[in-house]
Amino acid sequence: MNREHIKYLLKFISIFLVVSLIADKLIFLTLNTFSDQVYSGQSIGKLNHYLKTKDSVDVLIYGSSRANHHIDPKYLSNSAFNMGIDGCKMAYPTTLLKLLNTDKKQIILFHIGIDYAFDENYLGEDIKTLNIKYNRNDDIKKEIDRLNQNNPLQEIYWSIGYNGMLPGIFKNYFHPNYDYKTYNGFDGLKINKKQQSAFKHELDNSIPKPCDDSYILNPLYDNYLQEIKSFCDSHNKTVIFFTAPTYSDECKTDNQAMQKIMDNMSLTYYDFTDFFSSDSRLELWKDSTHLSDTGAAIFSAEIGSLLEPVLKQLN
Amino acid sequence: MLFNSFEYLVFFPLVFILYWGINNHLKAQNLLLLLSSYVFYAWWDWRFLSLIILSSFIDYQVGLNIYRAVSEKIKKRWLLVSLTANLGLLGVFKYYNFFAESFTDLTSTIGWHPNDLTLNIILPVGISFYTFQTLSYTIDIYREKLEPTTDKIAFFTYIALFPQLVAGPIERASNLLPQITTKRQFKKTFFKEGIVQIFVGLFRKIVIADTLGIYVDSVYGNLEIHDASTTILATIFYAFQIYYDFAGYSDMAIGSAKLIGFDFKQNFNLPYFSTSLTEFWRRWHMSLSFWLRDYLYISLGGNRKGIKITYRNLMLTMLLGGLWHGSSWNFIIWGCIHGLVLALEKYLNSNNYLPRLRNIKILGFLCTFSVVIFSWIFFRAQTLHEAITAIKNIFDADFSIPFLGDLTTLINAVSMLCLGILFDAFLFKKQIHLEQLGANFSTPKIVGTLTIIALLIMLFYSTSNNFIYFQF
Repeated sequence: MNREHIKYLLKFISIFLVVSLIADKLIFLTLNTFSDQVYSGQSIGKLNHYLKTKDSVDVLIYGSSRANHHIDPKYLSNSAFNMGIDGCKMAYPTTLLKLLNTDKKQIILFHIGIDYAFDENYLGEDIKTLNIKYNRNDDIKKEIDRLNQNNPLQEIYWSIGYNGMLPGIFKNYFHPNYDYKTYNGFDGLKINKKQQSAFKHELDNSIPKPCDDSYILNPLYDNYLQEIKSFCDSHNKTVIFFTAPTYSDECKTDNQAMQKIMDNMSLTYYDFTDFFSSDSRLELWKDSTHLSDTGAAIFSAEIGSLLEPVLKQLN
Repeated sequence: MLFNSFEYLVFFPLVFILYWGINNHLKAQNLLLLLSSYVFYAWWDWRFLSLIILSSFIDYQVGLNIYRAVSEKIKKRWLLVSLTANLGLLGVFKYYNFFAESFTDLTSTIGWHPNDLTLNIILPVGISFYTFQTLSYTIDIYREKLEPTTDKIAFFTYIALFPQLVAGPIERASNLLPQITTKRQFKKTFFKEGIVQIFVGLFRKIVIADTLGIYVDSVYGNLEIHDASTTILATIFYAFQIYYDFAGYSDMAIGSAKLIGFDFKQNFNLPYFSTSLTEFWRRWHMSLSFWLRDYLYISLGGNRKGIKITYRNLMLTMLLGGLWHGSSWNFIIWGCIHGLVLALEKYLNSNNYLPRLRNIKILGFLCTFSVVIFSWIFFRAQTLHEAITAIKNIFDADFSIPFLGDLTTLINAVSMLCLGILFDAFLFKKQIHLEQLGANFSTPKIVGTLTIIALLIMLFYSTSNNFIYFQF
């Protein structure tokens, strides 16, 4: 390699970096203008909707798909929003919760997936779902960086935040899934015959979950539970943790361990795992961890009556 | 270390700078390549490095001994040493458990139940690839097509050279060794070709293959609940997943090699445009198919011993080719299907049926594609039972609306697949090899092309899976 080659390489790399960085920023800004106007769909619309309404509602529900598909906010309050998102465990909902920036009195219902809480391998990967706001919201950026879930390239190539989201953004921009003004975040699961038979097949082939003797809370969960407690205490929020129903949960030691942890931390916690243990109707379920809309209505009504005294205090 | 990892993004530029920095010292350059190749491999599991070193030692020495042998008998004996050592290692690490299990199954049918004979063995990454590479060296010396090298570093580098170490292309010594033993020059043409091929490969792997893989995994992970249309769709997607996965890997390997001055042979040449299975095997994983042709099919007698022996040789070659991919009955059946169809094509060709049909190209394309797709079922299914379930699903002929999974992922996958196919169609129509695509590009054209690919990767990449061929 001679001097001419080095010159060529340096020139080539410089031009590529400049051109690609400019193109990246142009794409990023263009996509921002589209995505900011999207308020429907799970990828970005619901997040935008949440960011718009989070400080005005009385009740907020956080968690995974088991929060999203299980609690219909209309049974709790006219001013409630369900921010449950499929696949999100602890890091994503906690980060969103910490974005609440007023001292308005609010009730927080926070779903805890017991399996995930005791999963030693959980590293907060679900926060990657917030990558879309990485270069637009400092709090989100800090949280993603803190968990080491950032893509190092995203520091320079901002469009990476939109990875995998383009079809959803354009679809919901041009043809929104629903009118977000009437949407409260709950997505009931309507079950067809095919899904029902799939669930039956799943039950027929299910292997009982092994039951351990001891359960250790994932350090991230431990940390986040404490953060949520102190955040809610200092921001006038009442936080209630809960675990959604499961179809036929045979192992109880993990539930007991979770209850003990929550008690030790002085957190209000309701374990609804066995809520439907006396009702074996299959039409209440989509699969062993997700209720159908029929099941969700029954469960939401129960949560509603449970929260009634707290809600009355709020008003 | 994976080509599509951050580690490689740091590793390769570092090697590139150091490598061209000592351009005037060939020995030092080769030593750097050897050490960096060992680091590259050790990143996965340093313990298995000893196997590569052992294999290299044996074949280096055997190569010299074959060359110096005074009689045919001694030559043959040394070749046997090489074959036994290399195939022995491969046999232990790759096939021992399969044969032990099959033996136990067989004996249990006659009522004898021996103790569990299987061992807890991990398959070292790349063993199938570098075993074939070392074998080609000793066989070529035995056939007097190649002279052995006395440069140990060069030979060890030939075996371990990182762009091709873990999943090929299986480079012959006759092509690669002379390039290692002579001074390399930095060529702008190589740089342009290489960088374009790396970006295209990355796009093929992490955008197309990995997004298609999400759908394929969700269907093949739960075949019992899916119908014909879903199983067919998943199998078609798998056909493209495996192609873009492996072709993408090869592109990154060939491209990386070009950046350090090596010219590897082409490994994929748009195989799905083939109008016969024979043509398919001239376009798919070419370094393996040509290896099997030259060292197995021809050694068995090829087509020189009459039509019946030719059919037998085709079947045997493809069966062993199937077994090369993995130690399971699925791969044997996969090889068997290909062997049978290749033999059928040979029959039709020799009786002049095929040339008459050759005018209807679309027919050949459809038949070839169908056979390939059908055989992929055995390749993708984890067990024979799973493959039978998939086939049962298809022949149940319940063609309702297929399961779509996550719609956004599916739209991403399908749109990127269409882009990939369009690009391949462009190459096919213009008769351009991807390996040479960047050669005549001006700097602005290359920068523009790379920027577009980079943006597409950023917007559509999927969480990376391991390369499918790593398991072989």
